[in-house]
Amino acid sequence: MKELSYWNAISEAIAEEMKRDETVFVIGENVQESPFLVTKGLVQQFGPDRVMDAPLSELAIAGATVGAAMAGYRPICDLTFADFIYCAADEVLMKAAQQYFSHNAKVNVPCVFLGVAGAGFGNGPEHSRIPAAMVMNNPGLKLVMPSTPYDAKGLMKAAIRDNNPVCFFFHKKCMPMKQEIPDEEYIIPLGVADVKRVGSDVTVVATSYMVHLALEAAKNLEDIISVEVIDLRSLVPLDIDAIITSVKKTGRVVVVDEDTECCGVAAEIGQQIMERAFDYLDAPVARVCAANMPIAGAAMEKYVIPQLAQVQNAIEAAAGSGFSA
Amino acid sequence: MKKLGKQDLLLMYRNLVRTRKFDELNIRMATEGKLLTFYHSCQGHEAIGVGACTGLRKDDYLYPHHRGHGLSYAIAKGVNPRECIAEHLGRATGWGGGITGFHTCVPEFGILGVGATIGSGFVLSVGFALAAKKRGEGQITIMFTGDGGIQRGQFHEAANMASVWKLPVVWVVENNQMAWFTPYRDTSAVEDIATLAASYNMPGEIVDGMDVLAVHTAVQKAVERARSGEGPSLIECKTYRYRSHSEGRPDVSHYLPRSKEEIAKWKERDPVKLFEEKLLKEKVLTKALIQKISQECDAEAEEAETFGFESPFPDPSNLSKMVYAP
Repeated sequence: MKELSYWNAISEAIAEEMKRDETVFVIGENVQESPFLVTKGLVQQFGPDRVMDAPLSELAIAGATVGAAMAGYRPICDLTFADFIYCAADEVLMKAAQQYFSHNAKVNVPCVFLGVAGAGFGNGPEHSRIPAAMVMNNPGLKLVMPSTPYDAKGLMKAAIRDNNPVCFFFHKKCMPMKQEIPDEEYIIPLGVADVKRVGSDVTVVATSYMVHLALEAAKNLEDIISVEVIDLRSLVPLDIDAIITSVKKTGRVVVVDEDTECCGVAAEIGQQIMERAFDYLDAPVARVCAANMPIAGAAMEKYVIPQLAQVQNAIEAAAGSGFSA
Repeated sequence: MKKLGKQDLLLMYRNLVRTRKFDELNIRMATEGKLLTFYHSCQGHEAIGVGACTGLRKDDYLYPHHRGHGLSYAIAKGVNPRECIAEHLGRATGWGGGITGFHTCVPEFGILGVGATIGSGFVLSVGFALAAKKRGEGQITIMFTGDGGIQRGQFHEAANMASVWKLPVVWVVENNQMAWFTPYRDTSAVEDIATLAASYNMPGEIVDGMDVLAVHTAVQKAVERARSGEGPSLIECKTYRYRSHSEGRPDVSHYLPRSKEEIAKWKERDPVKLFEEKLLKEKVLTKALIQKISQECDAEAEEAETFGFESPFPDPSNLSKMVYAP
């Protein structure tokens, strides 16, 4: 076992896969220096032909990724900020997502779209989003949002080996987190949620950094409410069975997600819970999400992004409320 | 550059005729309401696909233009065009399995698939070329688009990236002077698209798009440059769209009817007729052979139509299994 940070766990996964498979390469802006560290050191190990510093051209970077994937490679496309997926919407949403389906399953598009995501640093509306719901709403893409170093490493290896385009959004606030990582290889399959805390009164379904808020809230409330925290880890595929199993046990659920509330991840999960476990619910499904406005920067950010108090209040409300007979 | 023999010339001529006949078939079926999709005729453009794709390696990557929905390019590369007809009839035997209605996808001939947003092929072709360069087996990529395609950012980003990385790609722009109903001259800052190449430090050449041999020669030169690792090229073929943007639409420029005189003037240099006359003069073709080829192509188109109608539709229960690869 060794202790690795979140970013280091991701870079180690990429390095291991590049060593294992010569068709894996990294392409993006500043990937050799890697301002968000996840591809740092790779150029020294694999050379500039496999760690390609590209022009500031999101369309060409994402397009080259899709084309090379169709032609037999497994590119990792570093979008830098996950928000920049909007720049390359044609390439990611229309081409990567749809080429396999629209051409009768003849040509795979195995690639990873890597993006640093989320708020917490006051970076404003174009550098703080987690465009999760949009990705979920484009069939053909997979979506991974790890919350811990251990998960990040195992999920990255699965993402690279997947035969589909996978959006891998890692959270800025998780970057310094450290965890013991096994020396031997491990892979975490996509679509398997992880119960990060076992409880019996309220289920909190969370994603990415929101898992840590949920765990903190659960700890603060542990004397009065027993909270179960489910970390989805990947949103596509979605481990709905894990959610339903927990909801059947607790009867109360709060979905905590950092993406915008309207038509968001929580809305989808709430609907699926209602369709599958309505009779088990003792309270309405609650949600804590980013407010329906652009993500404000600097001191105003916290009025848009879910905060600990909101999560805690939502759990307390869910625990205390109920349908009247 | 490989010199074209008599058989090559005859094959090019036959492929021009086949393209025209299959285009006419698609138009007729669209008019009769039989197509389950739209159709963008390639009449006037045939020499470009046939001239450019003759002599390519089977494993060269090809990204066709949307005009003719890939017909001339695929035909010249050796694909049986009945797959095109079947696709337009929504059948499982179509080249997209009847899933998209018109997208060309024949991986065994290097056609990995197309998108339907004009100009998006520029950046995908960069990816194909990047893969080819990494693999190092001498494959090149050739991609076709219209004059509207170079007005998208994809062209400019792709041109810069491919030039910096010296990627083996040839871009052929078929300048028919119209993007839907909007004329090129009113929406572009430069008269000749080929001049844009200089901005990205690559060769740009203007070619008579109605002359199949002129297209072939220019493209072969660019292909050789790409194969030898010298990087991308841009070729502008001056051509003309005979019909409206797509079947059933008004044929207008902005909102007024296009000039009948202008259309007639371009048709005097029809790419099929032009090559036919040349080969007749050079005694490669005879009147009798022209008639024979015409009849054979008619028969092939007829068989393709029958093949299409007799083919099954895709099984809708498979759709949900194709969203993700295993």
